[in-house]
Parts: sequence; structure tokens; C-alpha cells
Amino acid sequence: MLDLTELGAWFSDPENWAGRYGLWNLVAEHLTLTFVAIVVAAIVAVPLGVAIGHLGRGEFFVVGLGSASRAIPTMGLLFALVLVMGVQFRELSVVLALSAIALPPLVAGAYSGVTTIPPWIRDSATAQGMTAWQLVRHVELPLAAASIIGGFRIAYIQVVSTVVLAPLVGLGGVGFGIIQGLALRNFSQVTASSIVIIVITVAGDRLIGLSQKFLSDRLGKPKPLETS
Amino acid sequence: MKLTRIAAVAASIGLILGVAGCAPSAVPSSEPIVIGSQAYYSNEIIAEAYALVLEDAGFTVERKFSLGQRDVYVPAIVAGEIDLFPEYTGNLLQFFVPTATETAAEDVYAALATSLPEGLTALAMSPASDQDSYNVTQEFASANGVESIADLASLADITLGGAPELAERPYGPTGLLAMYGVTVSFEATGDTTVESLVAGIVDMANVYSADPRIQQLGLVTLSDPLGLFLASNVVPIASEAVNADARALIDAVSAAMSAADLVALNVRSVDEKLSAAVIAREWLVSEGLLD
Repeated sequence: MLDLTELGAWFSDPENWAGRYGLWNLVAEHLTLTFVAIVVAAIVAVPLGVAIGHLGRGEFFVVGLGSASRAIPTMGLLFALVLVMGVQFRELSVVLALSAIALPPLVAGAYSGVTTIPPWIRDSATAQGMTAWQLVRHVELPLAAASIIGGFRIAYIQVVSTVVLAPLVGLGGVGFGIIQGLALRNFSQVTASSIVIIVITVAGDRLIGLSQKFLSDRLGKPKPLETS
Repeated sequence: MKLTRIAAVAASIGLILGVAGCAPSAVPSSEPIVIGSQAYYSNEIIAEAYALVLEDAGFTVERKFSLGQRDVYVPAIVAGEIDLFPEYTGNLLQFFVPTATETAAEDVYAALATSLPEGLTALAMSPASDQDSYNVTQEFASANGVESIADLASLADITLGGAPELAERPYGPTGLLAMYGVTVSFEATGDTTVESLVAGIVDMANVYSADPRIQQLGLVTLSDPLGLFLASNVVPIASEAVNADARALIDAVSAAMSAADLVALNVRSVDEKLSAAVIAREWLVSEGLLD
């Protein structure tokens, strides 16, 4: 099935890397869409998750969002948004659809990071006279950092694999190679594009994983408060 | 989403293996004629028309509709699992002979007739066709005085929209330049091609000629005097299980279906949301092929 010679030939043909629909451009578009969608989602999701965890109110929302995320018909959402908002705003529609996918894991990561902090840590912080904001800023956020990054990790994997659908509504991304390749029965191109998607998915996940480890090593340990 | 994709591919492979695994057997005349169709509403209407005339004449038919795309169902036809299938001359020829260079309707039909696998016959082709075509909006056509693809040669900065594979098709940007001297920049607009044309994101779009939206949105289909596009007329593909009497009935259906008829049938399907059976039956009655 898998012809390694043909696959190698595909990768070594400069034609397949250059131009508007060349691999470089498609990877760049793929990562840009993924990045923008996650940033947009994080702006809403992280403060929301931290607030719910801090206040201990609205947990049902986190649970509901988690369940809803499994029920979102990704492709339907993508098409519906593009058709409702109009093709002129397809970039925005696609980013919004992708953000909707990134939102639940980000909220869940932030929420569980804050809510799993042992009560005595918060109590002692409050006992030292910290205000609510200082508690969030100096205690909860650093201790939740690893879990928040964990949310980014899941969001990244889900979004990066959904961007594959973007060419269906006229945007780029590595999915272009798969969708075009299937129609042209160019299976070397389909395989090559799939490999590229796997590589950027795993590499991105590893990268976020490394930063997660780094953060939990640095921030996870209680450290003396700087005195002013 | 990935999982659904994998499942879909696995299902297709399963279907291919499943049908290919069954050896074609000699079909006794009492066996029903198995009629297949693509997962495309227009194709299903044509298949339904075949089924209705055959049933009316006393044949037993079995409908296996919505069989997906060519990669999936052609092996089933070749394996003798399906006896009758409405196809399109050009696209089917390209499937069997990817290097085929014929584009004119008669040439394509002749080439197809000789390239079909053993045991399959292309019955008479219909004047109705469903093929690639380049379309512009009415405003663009009037503003630039464009009626034919050849008229585009004097214009600069034309953006062509279509499915991703159009970039590599012989009638895509390369063919436009080679045959008509028209330079276009290609924009893969995927499933939102018609919407992108109307919204002005692209100037010209590749739309199937029988697409109801050409009529509904008042798009202008550019004529193709040099034969850039592969002609793709409706053509029934029949196995040996379809006897001479049945073939005569199907030929009558093909002859009666004009290009405008096919568009009208598609418009009914999209606008009135009627089932293929209702649309096919009413059309057959209006043509006098059914009481």
C-alpha cells in the first residue's frame, strides 16, 4: 500500500513545497489558524476557569461545557458559521468554530488547576492577610499553571487536527493536500500530508508538554513571597 | 473528527473488499436487475427513472442507491454486484483512462465504449450532461463583455475558484493558459465555491453545468468553443444481466432527457425537496414514458 519511494519522491520535489498551496505555506496557515483560535479561546476560557475555581461557583458550567464539547459536530459548526456569516468572513468563522472546540479543555484545565489546590494553602494565604486578587495572582495562578498548560495541550491537539477541514470552506492548511490528493487519487500526497499533520501535532504537543514540566518545576513548589 | 474520517475510509475499504470478494455469477433472468446510483441527488433521480420504466414493463428491480463516489462503487459494478448505473461519459472515461485526451462528446463516448471492462456496456448516451463549466456573475459578464472563455484572454487579474483538485486538472489554470491564453490565479474555495463567486472573492468559478444554482443565482456559464472541458453526458452503464428489452426502455429514457430537463429535475429536488421517486415519476409521465 505505502510506497516509500514515491513518498520520498513527493517530499523531495521542490514543487510540492513552494507556492500558494505548497507545503511551507500550508503548514504556516495551519499553525496560524490553530494558534489564533487557541489564543481567542484562551482569552475567554482561562479567566473563566480560574474564576469558577476561585469562587467555587458554577462548576456545573465546566461539567456541561465538557460534555457539550464531545457533542459538537465540528464539520457542521464549520459550515454553519461560514454560511451564516458569509464567505467574506470565512477566516473569522473558522477561527470561531475552532475556538469553540478549544474552549472546553481550556476552561476545564484552569478550573481543575485552581480547585485542586489544598484548602490549607488558601486558608494560610488568607490568614496572612492576602486579598482575593493577591490570592489569585500569587497562589492560585502559579499552582494551577501546570494544569492550565495541560488544557492548552488538549486544546492544541483537538484544534490542530480539526484545521484539516478548513480547505472544505476555502481556507488553507495541510488538509488541502489530503482533500486534493483524494480527489486526484494522488495517494503519495495524501500520505505525505498526513505525515506532516502527525508531525506538527506530536511536535506541538511535546513542546507544550516541555513548558508544562518547566512551569510545574518552577512554580509548582511554594516559594517565599517577595517582600516589598 | 479524525476518527470519523478513519471510520469512513474503513467503511469504504470494507465495501470495496466486500463487493470485490463476491465472484460475479451468471445471473438467471428471474433475478432482479440491481440499479445503483451515486450519493448525488441528481444521479439518484436518473437511476430512479430507470427503475420506474423497468418496473412498469414488468422487470423486477432492486435499488442500491447512494453508493458514494466512483472509487467505491465502480469495483462493485465490475464485480457484477450492480447491473445498471447512470454515469457520466467524461468522468467515467477519466476514471478508467486517466490519460485520455478526448473532450468532444462523441469522441469521449467512443473512447469510453472501448475502455470499459469486460462485460460492461455503455448504452446510448443522453443529450443531458453534467460536466465542469466556468461561470461568472451576470455583473462580471456585462461589465467585461464576456460570453466565452476566449473573451477572458484580454482581462488581467482573474481569480478562479474551485475545489482543491482543480489546481491540477487538465482544464484548470494550466489548460486555461495553454488553450485560451488566459492567466488566472487559483483560489481553492472548496465547498463554498458558488458562495465565493457571488461574494466576489473569486471572479470565475468551476460549477457543474446541471447545478440548479446557475439558474437560481443567474450565473453566466461561459461557452467553451475550443473544448477545454471534457464532455460528460449521462450514460447508462449496463451489465449483461440487462437484456435487449430492458436496454430499449433505458435508451428511450436517455433520449428523452435533454440538458434543460436534467437542470429542471435538479431544481425541483433542491427547491421543492421532493424525493427522487416523485420527481422521476412526474418527469417520465410528462415525457409519455409512463402512464
